Amino acid sequence: MAAVKRLLTHPIFLRIAGLVVGAALLYASLDKIARPDRFADIVHDYDMLPVVAVNAFALLMPWTEMVAGAALILGVWRRGAGLLATALSAAFLIAIAQAELRGLKIECGCFDVSEMSSSQASWSLFARDIPLLLGSLLVWRKG
Amino acid sequence: MPPATPTGPAASPDCPIVCAASALGRIAVARFPHATRALALLCLAAVAAWGWNARLPLGIRWLPSPGNRVGIPRAFEKRLPEINVARALQLYEAADALFVDSRDQKDYEKDHIPGAVSLPMREWATAWPKMRDRLPKDRLLVLYCYGAHCGLSTRQGKALLENGYSKLVILDYGWKTWTEADGPTVKRPRARER
Repeated sequence: MAAVKRLLTHPIFLRIAGLVVGAALLYASLDKIARPDRFADIVHDYDMLPVVAVNAFALLMPWTEMVAGAALILGVWRRGAGLLATALSAAFLIAIAQAELRGLKIECGCFDVSEMSSSQASWSLFARDIPLLLGSLLVWRKG
Repeated sequence: MPPATPTGPAASPDCPIVCAASALGRIAVARFPHATRALALLCLAAVAAWGWNARLPLGIRWLPSPGNRVGIPRAFEKRLPEINVARALQLYEAADALFVDSRDQKDYEKDHIPGAVSLPMREWATAWPKMRDRLPKDRLLVLYCYGAHCGLSTRQGKALLENGYSKLVILDYGWKTWTEADGPTVKRPRARER
C-alpha cells in the first residue's frame, strides 16, 4: 500500500498524469470550440440547464477545457488546473449518468460534435471518464 | 505551517473599495491558492471564449436567440425564420410548402401532418443519406418538431443550410401548436382497425 502511495505521489507520475489529462482535455475541446452551435445543441439535449444558460455554457466550457488542458501540459498552475479538470470531469460523469438514468438517447459530445457522430452518452463512456476524474483529482490534491 | 497573513493596503476612508478588494484578494490567494488560480484560469477561458466567438463565422449569442432558440449561429438567425401556426396552415392549404417532420420515426408513424416527410433529426446520420436526393431545394420547407424548446427542427435547419438548402422556415412550437390549432393530421390506424 505504501509503495502504491509512493508511486501515485511521485513527481514523475504526477507529471505524466497531468500530461495525459491535459492532452485529453485539450483534444476534447477542439471540435467544441470550432462549432459552439452544435455543442449548444448537445448541451440542450442533456436537459440539465435552463434554456437561458445553454449557449453561455456551450461557449465557456470548451475554452475551460482548453485552458486547463494547456496549463496541465505546460505545468503552469498545475494544481489550480487540476482543480478545474476535476470539476469538469465530475460534471461529465454527472451529465452522462443522469442521461443514462433518464433513458435519454443523446450524443455524448465528448470529443466530436458532428451531426454524423455516433458516440452516444452511455455507461461505457461513464467508465471511460472515471480515470480522467481520478487523474485530475490526483494532480489537484498532490500535484 | 499556516500561510503568512498577507500584508497590503488596508481599507480606509480614502480607498474604501479598491483597497478592501485588494486585501480580500490577497487573503484569498494566500488561503486558497489553487482555487484562486483555478478561478483565474476560468476568467482567462471566458475572455478567450468571448474573443473567439465574436470573430467566429458560426458564432452564437451568449444568451438564446429571439424565440429562445439555442445553438443558432448569428449568421443563420435570419435564414431560419420562425412562422406561427396560422401561417403554417396557410402554406398547407395552398400546398405551397413541403412539411418536414424532424421528430423520431415512431412519432411520425403515430401521427403527422398530411404530406409531411419524415427526417428524424436524432437519426440524422442514417436518415439524411436516404433523403438527400428526395428533398427539393427549390421548394419551401417547413420544419417542425415536438414543441417549444425541442430544438430538433432548428438543428435540422442548420444542417440543411449547410447542405445548400435556403428556403427554410421553422414552425414555432411545432407539432404541439399544430394539433392545438386543429391542423389536419394523419393518424396511424389502431391495430383492431387495420
